[in-house]
This record gives sequence, structure tokens and C-alpha cells, in this order.
Amino acid sequence: MTDEPVVIDNHRVLGVVPGKPAAGDRKVLGEEDTVMVWPHLLVRHAVAALVVLLIVMVVSLLFDAPLREIANPTVTPNPEKAPWYFAALQELLAHFHPLVAGVLVPGAIVGGLMALPYLDRNPQLVPQARRVARVVFTIFLVVWIVLTLIGFAFRGPNWSWVWPWDEWHGEL
Amino acid sequence: MKLIRWIKETTVYRSIFRLPDVATDRDRAAAHWSSFLMHIYPVKVQRRELRFGYSAFLGVASLVLFGSLTVSGIYLMFFYVPSPATAYGDIQSIQTNIAFGQYIRNVHRWSAHLMVLAVAAHMARVFYRGAYKPPKEFNWVIGVVLLVLTLLLSFTGYLLPWDQLAFWAVTVGTSMASYVPVAGDVTKEILLGGPSVGSATLVRFYVLHVALLPALLAFLITIHLWRWRKDSMLTTDPPAAEGDSADEVELVITGEGQ
Repeated sequence: MTDEPVVIDNHRVLGVVPGKPAAGDRKVLGEEDTVMVWPHLLVRHAVAALVVLLIVMVVSLLFDAPLREIANPTVTPNPEKAPWYFAALQELLAHFHPLVAGVLVPGAIVGGLMALPYLDRNPQLVPQARRVARVVFTIFLVVWIVLTLIGFAFRGPNWSWVWPWDEWHGEL
Repeated sequence: MKLIRWIKETTVYRSIFRLPDVATDRDRAAAHWSSFLMHIYPVKVQRRELRFGYSAFLGVASLVLFGSLTVSGIYLMFFYVPSPATAYGDIQSIQTNIAFGQYIRNVHRWSAHLMVLAVAAHMARVFYRGAYKPPKEFNWVIGVVLLVLTLLLSFTGYLLPWDQLAFWAVTVGTSMASYVPVAGDVTKEILLGGPSVGSATLVRFYVLHVALLPALLAFLITIHLWRWRKDSMLTTDPPAAEGDSADEVELVITGEGQ
């Protein structure tokens, strides 16, 4: 060995010291330990993005977007259906005054969602310590999904009840 | 491999990508400051964020779908004129005469439906993770606005094919506007540009759909992501881990039940 450091592939070894391994290699990593975003998160995001694009591609190759006959203000289709994401509101419209179903309920939902972090001041993150919040939100979610499904697939002419396997009236 | 190595050593490549040949963690951290795309990300994240169950990557999915919608939407804009006289014919011609027209229209349509699903699911996932809690309260509020904008974008786009489906879905959707207290008729008038869905409505929805709403959405997404990055860089341990007594944790739990 000479005193001159050996240069290998543009890197030189300055020395080898005894002691503990570097922090990154030392232990079994826990959930709270941090890792570099590049490459760990980036590669996962890249795969997620590719999966999403693959789904879009396959669906678009298999199914054509709907195009009905040209708009005609004199011919009202029966049932008239709103887009599926407004189907729950349309279903409510069949049961409540339009002021309630069309204005107050959507206003309360958007307002309530925005206010959520300021209403729920419980700092706990573990599920067991936030039962009230979880139960309330889950009830809202289930009710909304059920109403959306009913309005989308279970309503036929004159907004009457139909079984989707008998008559299909859902529109995408 | 030799070719890739050669490309990486060219002056042009080095002027674009400001990275060394062999990247160490230090170089990777530095890239977050020197690379535009990387600066969207924090340098490090907690390992829990890598698990699929943490986020199901629904935020990424939403963003990718927005990208897919932007690209396919710009292509469709070349062949579409928002007027009742031409709109329907333009869609027919896109489907039959334009190269990849039917496929691009399908991509746009299904991406839109999937984006509504992805954004809603993203919100639910964030709720169950409790990720709206301090210091992330306001980013949740921005997220709710992004959900509303996504719905409005989808709804304004729904009218553009000018078929029976579009016309009557929008007639139903906008009829609710007239029930807004006091300003109901004014709101509907502003939205439709007349007493019913017509040519003015089509132009208004088109401008909202291709210019105003996407610009707003893109602007808010940048703030949403910037705040996500800033909050990720804080080590936010659950408050119970701060070494408080068990009594205090108990107090919080009972406090919620009021």
C-alpha cells in the first residue's frame, strides 16, 4: 500500500474506519422511518400512473362513448336522467322539495366537508380513538352511494322503481 | 447500454438533466432543488406512505386522469365548434372521419368518469387516514374545492356532444338552480344565458369547460401539491407519541363523544 489513494472509476477510497454501520443500514426500518422519495416513492407513482393509463386504454378500446340522437327540445326522454354523480340528488328530488334536495342538501354537504377539519378537533389518528367521526362519515358515504345507485340503475319511466336486470335505464 | 451512456455524456443531455452519472442520496436530495419535476416532491417520506393501503395512490390516479383529459381534450378541441348547428355533426365526424377520433373521445369520456370516482375515493381515503388534521386542515378544504371543480368540469363537458343525453341531463341539472333562494332565476339565467338550454348555454359551458374551470383546477392542484410537499417534510408523529400521560389521551377520546 502506498500513501496515494487508489482511484477506481473516478472514485477514491479515503479510508476505512471501525465502528457502527451507517444509519441507513443499521436497523430494521419502522413505519415512521423516512426513505428517499427518489427512487422509492417515484417508482411506485410511476407504476400507479401506468396502471391508470392502462385501465383507461383498455376501457376506451372496449367501450365506445355514448352518442344518442341529436338534441331535441320538443322530445323529452322518459326517464330524464342527470349524470350519475348527480343521481343521488335527483333521487332526493323525487322525495323532497327542490329547495331541500337541490340547494340545501348539496350546500350542506359541500359546506360540511369544508368545515370538517375545523369541527373535528380530535387530534388522534388511530381508528379506535375517532369512532364518532368514522361512523358519521361512513353513514354519509353509504347513504350517498345507495342513493346514487338507486337513481342511476333502479329508476325507470316517470322515476318509477325498476330492476336493472329487467330494464336498463342507466346512462353514462 | 453503450448508446445510453454516450447520450448521457453529451452536452445537450447534461444541459437538460442536471444530474451526475452515478447518483448518491445526496445528489438525489439536491435534485429536488435543481429539477422542476422533482421539486413537486419532498426529499423523504415516511415508509408508511409507500404501502398501497396508505393512499391506494388515488391522488396520483386523479392527477394522471386530469393529464389524460387535458391531452385528449385538446385533441378534440381541434375538431369541435360549440354551436347547436355544428356540435352534434362535429362529434359524429370525430367518430368517423378523424384519425383516432373515436378512441380519443372514448379516452376523454371514460377518463372523466374515472376522475370523478378517483377524486371522491381519494377524499374518502384521506378521511379514514385522518390526514385532514392539523396542519393539513386547509389542504383538505382545497381538496373539497377540487372535487367540486371536477364535478363541474364533468357536468359542463356533458352538454357538449349536444345529443338527447346531454341536453336533458343538463336541463335536469340546471333546473335545480332556479330553487336557490332569492337569486334563483338570476343564477339560472347566468348559467344558461337564457330561459332554457340553448346556443348561449353551449358557448358558456364550452368556455367554462375548456378554459376557466381547467385553469382554476390546475392552479389549485399546484397549491394542493405544494402544501402536501411542505406537510410531508414535517415529521408529524401522532400526538400520543409525544410522551403525554395516558390521562390526556383518555380525555381526548371521551371529549369526542360529546
